[in-house]
Amino acid sequence: MGVGMKVLRAIFLILLGLYFFVPLLAMARFAFQSVPVVLLTPEKLLEGWSISGLLEVFGNPEFQRATLISLQLMVLAIVLTLVLLLPLAALVEIRAPQLRTLMTAITLLPWVVPPVALVVGVAATFRNTVPWFLASPYSLVPFYVLWALPFSYRALDAGLRSIGARTLYEAARVMGASTFTIIVRVIIPNMIGAIIAASVLTAALVLGEFAFAALLLKETLPTFMAEFQRSEPRAGMALALAVMLLTALIIWIGVRALRKRGMDLQAAGV
Amino acid sequence: MSGIRKEFGSTVALSDFTLEIESGELVCLLGPSGCGKTTALRILAGFEKADSGTVTVGGEDITFVPTPKRQFGMVFQEYSLFPNMTGRENVEFALKLRKAGSAERKDTIDRLLEVTGLTQHADKYPHQMSGGQRQRVALARALASNPRVLLLDEPLSALDAKVRDSLREEIRRVQREIGVTTLFVTHDQHEALAIADRVGVMSHGRLEQIDPPRALYEQPDSAFVAGFVGTVNRIPAQADGDRWRVLNRSVPGTPTVPGATLAAIRPEQIAVDVDAAGDDTVREVVFLGPLTRLTVDHGGTTLIADLLTSEFGGAATGDRVRVRLRDDVDEIVLIEG
Repeated sequence: MGVGMKVLRAIFLILLGLYFFVPLLAMARFAFQSVPVVLLTPEKLLEGWSISGLLEVFGNPEFQRATLISLQLMVLAIVLTLVLLLPLAALVEIRAPQLRTLMTAITLLPWVVPPVALVVGVAATFRNTVPWFLASPYSLVPFYVLWALPFSYRALDAGLRSIGARTLYEAARVMGASTFTIIVRVIIPNMIGAIIAASVLTAALVLGEFAFAALLLKETLPTFMAEFQRSEPRAGMALALAVMLLTALIIWIGVRALRKRGMDLQAAGV
Repeated sequence: MSGIRKEFGSTVALSDFTLEIESGELVCLLGPSGCGKTTALRILAGFEKADSGTVTVGGEDITFVPTPKRQFGMVFQEYSLFPNMTGRENVEFALKLRKAGSAERKDTIDRLLEVTGLTQHADKYPHQMSGGQRQRVALARALASNPRVLLLDEPLSALDAKVRDSLREEIRRVQREIGVTTLFVTHDQHEALAIADRVGVMSHGRLEQIDPPRALYEQPDSAFVAGFVGTVNRIPAQADGDRWRVLNRSVPGTPTVPGATLAAIRPEQIAVDVDAAGDDTVREVVFLGPLTRLTVDHGGTTLIADLLTSEFGGAATGDRVRVRLRDDVDEIVLIEG
């Protein structure tokens, strides 16, 4: 690589870094430093930093309720995703590989239909038939499972292909194993990487999802944050940063778990 | 397998395919890719359903018996060991499925690991093993449940040449020792000729010929078999009473189809004499170790001759020579008109 190229590359990377980090730094300053920006001088750069605003939010019962709900939704969405999708993806791969293209297309649909259309359609159907379902905050779980589908299904499908699930299935079939035994004893134990990837992606989506919760009038962490930011802009900003860090942490834990198994997110189909 | 027909969409993978394997015999199905050999194996394994025809094992009709109940063993082309289990656990998995007791499992595993020379590597995980070791475990695993038939689907083609040869010998030895009826599918003719009791050559969904390796090589039933198994020269022959005149000699011949006049002559059946007055010209000389392969222009047709290097007269490219049929050739096969 020539010197010119190296310089260009460095400039590009610096610009990209600034593009990402300047707003974050600005957010952090706004959230944690109680010095109005017009009075900010180099001498005052280190003055007045405090996280008391953030700590106050943590004590807010409404925040605690919303966080608890979001974490519950996250766990339920992951469980439902795995319970439904893992056997489905495995069966498609080993019993009906000709359906794979169709499945790939179907699993992209949730992102083609806008959330508002999805919610209105589902609400119109359920409000008259099972109104209690929409009343519960857990009614968000199926939406989240659907919303994560393009990522979660792909991660599982890539995992199945990377372990050569079809050959493993046939090998175990000849030995006399039932399909159930094969999925439980052979396929799932070899797919831990893909399962982690699908779970992490689902978790990250659930923790950041706003549209469904807002449309269905549920209070989750993101809707609480939007509301809170209006009354307490600085503490709201601090909270947004904290959630961002939490999501990054979840992804990082997931990536580490994958690395330990010699995979990366790319190998898991993401 | 009798009268098997199988179509995929508009492609006929097998038509009227009939194959009988004797108990304890090792039969190879050999053919170019797409000839239907893998389909035949998959139908025997129960992975595919035949459109018509029957599959029988030891007198029992198993055409509609699902794979897990067929009591077969199989080794695949791709590595098919369960990555979450060690070599030993892989073999044990097969035994557990057959509900073998723990003492019996241990005995069988130890015996199989010894037979396949794996005792030292048994506690490794598949990703810690070489390709050859993995296929040995796969073989041990396939034999663990004492299968009625052992199916081998190109088990050597993912391995490099040296490992391939030694594992080939080993499969043959183990198969003889255990005496298991075996179907081996391959596209590699050397593999098939070296390992099989009988080789079945397939083309376009049909079994063209099934014979012991030597008979297949020396008496091919058709132009396809002659051309597919080994190298063959097609030399025009003239009827000479009830014999056929080929090159310099007149020998008895068997036509494979009515009106056939092209003799199938193997490269090692041709002799080449250096002769400045000869009509033929050497085009190429290739040294192959024990053999030397000459490409000779014989009146416009190109002939290939394999000479023992020790008997090779030392002709060079461009030399005038005379080709003749070796004196020890006492019968020829005629293919095509």
